Amino acid sequence: MKIAVGQGSCGIAAGAMKTYEILNSNLDLNKNQLTVTGCIGMCYLEPIVDVYACDGLHRFVKVNGEIAEKIATAINNNDLTSVKEFEISNDDKQFLDKQTRIALRHCGVINPEIIEDYTNDDGYKALNKVLTTMSPEDVIEEIKVSGLAGRGGAGFPTWFKWNAARQSTGDKKYLICNADEGDPGAFMDRAVIEGDPHNLIEGMLIGAYAIGASEAIVYVRAEYPLAIRRLQNAIDQAMAKGFIGQNIMGTDFSCDFRIKAGAGAFVCGEETALIESLEGSRGMPRLKPPFPAQSGYWHKPSNINNVETFANVSWIILNGGNAFSSMGTENSKGTKVFALTGKIKRGGLVEIPMGKTLRDVIFDIGGGIKNDKNFKAVQMGGPSGGCIPEELLDTVIDYKALSQTGAIMGSGGMVVMDDSTCMVEMARFFLDFTAKESCGKCVHCRLGTKRMLEILTRITEGNGKEDDIELLEELCLAIKDGALCGLGQTAPNPVLTTLKYFKNEYIEHIVDKKCTAHECTSLLRYEINADACKGCTLCAKKCPVGAISGTVKNPHKIDMAQCIKCGNCVSVCRFNAVEVK
Amino acid sequence: MSITLTIDGKKIIADEGMTILNVATQNGIKIPNLCYDGRVELYGACGLCTVEVEGIPKLLRACSTKVSDGMVVHTQTERVKASRKVALELLLSDHTGDCVAPCSKACPAGTDCQGYVGLIANGEYTEAVKLIKEKLPLPASIGRICPHPCEKQCRRQYVDEPISIAFLKSFVADMDLLGDTYTPTIEPDTNKKVAIIGGGPAGLTSAYFLRKQGHSVTVFEQMPKMGGMLRYGIPEYRLPKAVLDKEIKLIEDMGVTLKNNVNIGKDTTFEEIKNDFDATLVAIGAWNSSKMRVQGEDLRGVWGGIDFLREVALGNKPTIGKNVAVCGGGNTAMDACRVAVRLGAENVYVIYRRTKDEMPADPQEILESEEEGVVYKFLTNPIEFTGENGKLNGVILQKMELGEPDESGRRRPVAIEGATEEIALDSVIMAIGQYPNLTGFETLEATRKNTISADESRFTTLLDGVFAVGDATNKGADIAIAAIGEAQKASVVIDRYLNGETVGYKKPYFVERDSKSIDYSKFEKVARAKMPHMTPADRKTNFKEVNFGFTEEMAKKEANRCLECGCHDYFECKLISYANDYDVKPSRFAGEKHNRNQENANDLIARNTDKCILCGLCVRVCEEVMGKSAIGLINRGFNTFVEPELGKPLKETACIACGQCVALCPTGALREKTSFTKSVPVKENSKISICTNCSNLCSVDFRYIGSTVTRALPVDNGILCKGGRFSVLNEQKNTTDIDALLKNDVIVISGKVSTETVFVLKKYAEENKKQIFTIAKGTDANYYAISRLNIPQYNGECENAIETSNYCENGTFFDKYGNKRVQNAIYNGESLAEYVNSKLNKPYSDLTAEAEKAVNATPTGKVTNEEIINASKLF
Repeated sequence: MKIAVGQGSCGIAAGAMKTYEILNSNLDLNKNQLTVTGCIGMCYLEPIVDVYACDGLHRFVKVNGEIAEKIATAINNNDLTSVKEFEISNDDKQFLDKQTRIALRHCGVINPEIIEDYTNDDGYKALNKVLTTMSPEDVIEEIKVSGLAGRGGAGFPTWFKWNAARQSTGDKKYLICNADEGDPGAFMDRAVIEGDPHNLIEGMLIGAYAIGASEAIVYVRAEYPLAIRRLQNAIDQAMAKGFIGQNIMGTDFSCDFRIKAGAGAFVCGEETALIESLEGSRGMPRLKPPFPAQSGYWHKPSNINNVETFANVSWIILNGGNAFSSMGTENSKGTKVFALTGKIKRGGLVEIPMGKTLRDVIFDIGGGIKNDKNFKAVQMGGPSGGCIPEELLDTVIDYKALSQTGAIMGSGGMVVMDDSTCMVEMARFFLDFTAKESCGKCVHCRLGTKRMLEILTRITEGNGKEDDIELLEELCLAIKDGALCGLGQTAPNPVLTTLKYFKNEYIEHIVDKKCTAHECTSLLRYEINADACKGCTLCAKKCPVGAISGTVKNPHKIDMAQCIKCGNCVSVCRFNAVEVK
Repeated sequence: MSITLTIDGKKIIADEGMTILNVATQNGIKIPNLCYDGRVELYGACGLCTVEVEGIPKLLRACSTKVSDGMVVHTQTERVKASRKVALELLLSDHTGDCVAPCSKACPAGTDCQGYVGLIANGEYTEAVKLIKEKLPLPASIGRICPHPCEKQCRRQYVDEPISIAFLKSFVADMDLLGDTYTPTIEPDTNKKVAIIGGGPAGLTSAYFLRKQGHSVTVFEQMPKMGGMLRYGIPEYRLPKAVLDKEIKLIEDMGVTLKNNVNIGKDTTFEEIKNDFDATLVAIGAWNSSKMRVQGEDLRGVWGGIDFLREVALGNKPTIGKNVAVCGGGNTAMDACRVAVRLGAENVYVIYRRTKDEMPADPQEILESEEEGVVYKFLTNPIEFTGENGKLNGVILQKMELGEPDESGRRRPVAIEGATEEIALDSVIMAIGQYPNLTGFETLEATRKNTISADESRFTTLLDGVFAVGDATNKGADIAIAAIGEAQKASVVIDRYLNGETVGYKKPYFVERDSKSIDYSKFEKVARAKMPHMTPADRKTNFKEVNFGFTEEMAKKEANRCLECGCHDYFECKLISYANDYDVKPSRFAGEKHNRNQENANDLIARNTDKCILCGLCVRVCEEVMGKSAIGLINRGFNTFVEPELGKPLKETACIACGQCVALCPTGALREKTSFTKSVPVKENSKISICTNCSNLCSVDFRYIGSTVTRALPVDNGILCKGGRFSVLNEQKNTTDIDALLKNDVIVISGKVSTETVFVLKKYAEENKKQIFTIAKGTDANYYAISRLNIPQYNGECENAIETSNYCENGTFFDKYGNKRVQNAIYNGESLAEYVNSKLNKPYSDLTAEAEKAVNATPTGKVTNEEIINASKLF
């Protein structure tokens, strides 16, 4: 039997290494083959162990050491029914069954460290097809037919960029992959590189052929060490097979391939800042125009696409552009990968055809809200995106439809929030992120985000002023208008959308000095309900600052001047007498 | 290829490929920008140059957007202006510094205190007086008597004591009155007539400024002489009238008509004056003493404070007897009590209902009055003046204690029930306030305080063409400099009025720093200069001026104590200029502000990252133009700043001190250290010349103030090297014993000296049988002149040579490649030539003129053969 342990970063974080070790030492390796695979996408169920038995796939989830031992024994005894209880539930199966996987088609299936796993599954066939039967213009045409658009967030037609770079004259051209995935809560690109690196390489080589690039570079953040290791391994293997380098597959096409590890600045996800960083300069955006297609890396024509975009290319070449464009809506074709996180029952990677609704993703695939709380909003597109409230849950996944809500498609981060999330605090959190990640170049972003953050902070601390909302709105619009690059121009989005859909929360914070979600501690008051309090003294004993006074069997009191709002009293009280207001 | 576009409704033909900013600039349309400079690559950081282009929803940066045919650009829409304003406000919300020093801001007349104090420190006295007189035409008088609000705000007090600003002003004004007195240039006659009613500080000030603008000015004064309260309210021992007379004479000499003894209502009427003149300024002051409304106030022997002082000033020696009390705690009370002492009163009391701490009078005045024997009756209040036969004989005083603070913050005096005291008196002087006499001015609107109602920014009254300022208006009597401040501002408004404009005075926006945020420990303590003055015994019997004034040495030392709070870039700063253009209110975005207090500089360049706006020009010019990369950006977001490479001190980096970063810096974040001993932010004069530092013939913009060259700047966005930018200035400091050097046998002329120097030294060498050589190269400025005069090349081996170059360190001459050439060198060819020429008995100025003519004949400064031959004929 073949046994595969999911060893994406998520699996490893959940203990997959240990699981692998135990399987390795307990399994009868003469009869069984133990292997690893990337992230299947069900991060909430890691570590996952897939057992390919004669009767099909048995998927074991949350396999800790103990369970791994049992599974090993069961496999050795050829009796998988004894460990049936550890197999994935039918409910959880929905998570994958409702998806359509193109970019992620090999993820969690093949071993990313063995090139043959990839080639056995049609790997590098698309490259071969392109190099032997298609002209660069044919490739661009096929991509055009597919309707593939940039998956990094902006949704710019890929063929158009490729064509612009193709048309640019220059002795040397570059193809660059933007793997500087920086949105908090987004991990689609990491999963692709860790789980299917050859797919990225193949997509990039096809792109390089299409635009006429002789060098391909993957700009990947240094915080992804596993991705870098697996990608480098894949590059080495592909080179050994003659898929990279001089006269690829015996044709005239030659292309070098290398990785550049970025130091992890969010702004380096902006293409011109990425180029600056690649050149060894401080990661700061350049003025556009000129666009990279005319003057990019070392002022040569350069094309930059995101990982997910490239991950679709080989599929499109093999299956035809029409197959891709048959999925989706009028404006948005194919599928899109989302990283579903937050207060969601089933968090992980989701790939679905465009045109599904947010409700489909969050409720059908994600299983709804954790602990059966109420859905409040979903943040799309990370710090550059916006939040979408419940009444807009039936919005279809489509570039245009999503931006009409004030949010964006983004690279695919989808953070789900329940009613314990304070929307002002949420906006403050993202502003804190963008303010820190601003490169400092343009005035609007450097100082505008800082001032917005200060205003939001004072609102969450109960020091908001009456005209703060107006001031925030003014700043938002000024920054959108004035900032130099996408980071700054989109930084106000979380504030604008929360102001649009949850203005009452702002007013409540400013005027009533209240945070209904109970997230802004400065605004909370802890009180003991004298009727409910039995005088058990437990809260007084557990209070770390001695803010609670009272005698046995008499109602206790909290001194708010001393209280540090740690919430200990609430959790220890057996009579629900401590009230948070 | 040419294209046509429209900018702000103006059709413009431009070359394809140009940016909107370039096209606009070429066509005189100003688009603000802080990070653009044609010498470096586009950057797009400041966001100020945004414009709207029809058909494009986004704002575009004019610096980077190329023009296209048919493009319609708007540079002044509301959206554009709002966007620029927010950008400026954001920048200013994190801009730490003081555009203008606190002293200057505290001065009601806005005199540039830091400026003139700094000029005094450098010995530029005439320049200091010129600067003062931009705001205040009576500095010798005001310097003596001003209660100096400037000094109360002076930050030096946090180190030790404030700068003695007022006395420095009278010092420099006195110096000016002694010598070639400064008189302003008067604009050509406008044929507009202005009447000024009232010849006090306000009236005289307006007369000065309006005359300067070329208007015909007549001042009407009711008293026999001009000067108003300065003459009739301030005693002689504080302000000698001879000084005031001199300052008034200067104004008269400018062509102002001064008419004394004109009583409005008797000799002429307000209406008549108003109708006879194009504009009228009412500056009649407040000449009535306020009453206390206490029983017995109408007794003989009860004087109004200013009535009393006026009598004395008129020379009428009022009889006041032996026992005199002055009621009040202000400066008029001080003047009254000290005059009473001088008139021979034996017991002089000051009755004040609070304590010394609450007294508004200048502490120095209080001290001096005490020295002169004045007795203070604090915490007392007159409740009745007693008398016999209508003549005062005493006062009953209510004893007081201090209660709760009142709205002014001073503790309110409260009567102690039943506690009284009686004093026998011959006279009492009531110095508790004054108010105007509006008789004759009934057509003007009066306030509830019975003052003239005037607009506070336009100084207009109900009547067209009639303006009013000073003690007679609005909130009433104030100090002289306040009236002068209003008068100066009103003069600007009146000048505009006479030109058909109605623009009021607008208080400019300044960036200012919290005085408390400054670390004063780095300043060395130096005591404030003590004003030398007469002993109490010497002074109490006469009206001679008490103070002797500062000596020059004292004044310079005192002026050098200035902390230089105001920004040195104020006159060139683009940020503050735009800030006022866009009427900013950065306090909206108040939040965290950087206060790094960083001093990372080298000997020539000073840096202040707290004033940096991160336009990146310095970093870019250093890297892109100079190829040095001595500085760069570090950190991210709000914490980004410019730092020398690897955090090293600037002098340890690749910096070559070319000063390009300074030249491009739009704010005061980078500046050159000037050759002034005391750096002063003042407007400099400019003279374009040619650098003599080497043979490259770079143009230099020499900036100077008075006789001091302050800076050498590149011209037309050009470049100067360290030598041209800084060494030329340091030259001034180099002096050598020329006589000793002339004993040497060999003279070596460099290619850097002027043509006339070559002539002079050649002549000298011939006459004195010295050998003369040159080290000039074919590319040098005067190589042609030198070779024409058959001066041979020098091999650099003679130890006994004198050298005429400009580059020398510690007496050793180096050539431009840094090789040591000659020991004991003299390094200023020009001064050597001047000296030598004086020995040749030929006026150097003649030579200079002739040689300059020759050099200037060609724009490059290169001299033609013919010109050299002509010039040679001089010998």
